[in-house]
Amino acid sequence: MKSIMETMEQGVLGHLMALERGGMGQQDQHDSQRLEMLKARAVTLRAKRDQIKQQTDVVKILKDKISKDLPLEDDAAAAGGFIEQQKSMLTAWRMQLKDLQRAHHLIGGYELVECKEGKSVCVSFHTAFEGVYLETYNMELDLTRTVQISRHNIPPSFPLESFAKQNLQKDFKAFLQTLSQNLNALAARRRQVCLLKELVGSVEVMESNQLCNILVLMCTAQSETPKAVLCTLEYGDLSQCLPTRVSIECEGFRVLNFKVIRSHDHYCVSKDERLNSIQISI
Amino acid sequence: MEQKYEEEIQMLQQEIEMLEAEQEETLRSIFIEHGDRLQHELKSVFEGRGGAQKPTLSKLITEVRELEKDLRRQTEINGIALNECFVKTLHKSERKLVQQLRLAGHCSVLLFQVEFAVTEIQEGDALLRRVTELNIVVDGVEFKDFSAFVSRVEDTKDLLLFFRTLRTFSERCEERRQTFQHFQEKYPDVVSLPEGCRSELMIIRSPQLPGISMTIFWKIDVSMEGVVKPSLELLLKMPDQAREFDTKKVMENGSNYFQSLLQILGVEASIEGLIRTVCL
Repeated sequence: MKSIMETMEQGVLGHLMALERGGMGQQDQHDSQRLEMLKARAVTLRAKRDQIKQQTDVVKILKDKISKDLPLEDDAAAAGGFIEQQKSMLTAWRMQLKDLQRAHHLIGGYELVECKEGKSVCVSFHTAFEGVYLETYNMELDLTRTVQISRHNIPPSFPLESFAKQNLQKDFKAFLQTLSQNLNALAARRRQVCLLKELVGSVEVMESNQLCNILVLMCTAQSETPKAVLCTLEYGDLSQCLPTRVSIECEGFRVLNFKVIRSHDHYCVSKDERLNSIQISI
Repeated sequence: MEQKYEEEIQMLQQEIEMLEAEQEETLRSIFIEHGDRLQHELKSVFEGRGGAQKPTLSKLITEVRELEKDLRRQTEINGIALNECFVKTLHKSERKLVQQLRLAGHCSVLLFQVEFAVTEIQEGDALLRRVTELNIVVDGVEFKDFSAFVSRVEDTKDLLLFFRTLRTFSERCEERRQTFQHFQEKYPDVVSLPEGCRSELMIIRSPQLPGISMTIFWKIDVSMEGVVKPSLELLLKMPDQAREFDTKKVMENGSNYFQSLLQILGVEASIEGLIRTVCL
């Protein structure tokens, strides 16, 4: 005869064992569900693989026929593969067209898109500096009566209005060209500031503005006692990303002002417009 | 059991990726090697031969037509026509794409061939794209002084700067060509373009005044930063005997006078003025 304790233990143990079995059962359920899922996925992928393999074979046959200069409409084709063949040719042509679209995009095209049934157009301005693609600016232009800029994401400090006033009505392409040039210059100046901050430890960017056309840098001149040199760079021409004036200040020295001029393949700074030039490499 | 399926799934996915890449390459190669034949065959496809077209075909045809229309639009607005576009995918994964492209085309009458490699890396939301190689070949008599710019652009991999500059440069070249041609047609006895209407040289000579010539050099300079600057210069030639009569020192000061004239009247009117002086 079992003691009460034993009965209770059996009961508890039994309860625990029943719980364990229940849990395992759920796990089993999970397992079998997952197995079903994997099985289904494998079947789908197998079908997809077979379909692509078939398409690839059709394409290869097409290529073979074309390179051997054979007619495309032969018995094998007439047996139903003709449509597949035509589909392959269209797909080849579509691939080329998409490649061309991508090429236009990569070389900085404006990507003009007609919207609202021709009532407006959207253009994109891609920017890049030295091979690195930077921001893309977009603009929607309303064409209903005159050409008007309706929406854009160009920074407010950019003189968009003045460019629009200059060219927008008279010469749309010139407007796009001017904008592209100036936006690229802005992106380039901005990137140069970023690179300066990232790569050159000895130079600190004290001040910069939205248009990045004024840059104040604190450099450390290497001498017996390292001196702080304050450089101010002015970018007078907003369509360019190189400075037009440089001003250098250092404690105990006179402030030096330079104008940056281009001479053949290098830049010179000329002091007071006399030809006493110092070459700086940029 | 599960593991077996998981392995199979992974294998199938890889196989699918490989087949898709193979199909893409084969499709591209058909176009590269047999573009003409393909175009020819496609004509009949578009004309709807073979009775009623299956719905899948007509959907593709519509898509292709749309793409063609869009490309015409892009060509027009960009001012750049691409005649050749060969793409080679060197690496394609979920986050990274490396491609080599070879493009050939023209911007108005200026021909170019550009080969470049581009790498795209998806980092979170941002797509980082970078040109890693760039080779440019330009062809045309206008490109005499273009090589410094091209070398610089190849070094800095500034693909976008090249095309921006090419557009502007081609516009200035076109202005020059049209102006030169206009004057040659209007004054055929007096104006000659010894190197063609696409060159930078125009000579004004009157048959009644042998030995006296005015040569206009219309240079279009392109700086390394892609700044396009046209500049005109005048060179006067006079026989030695005539120089004795040159009391007003026209020979010495002629080119400066011409610069002033340009500033006041602009290019066309200034050239017209010069031509008129020898049309007796």
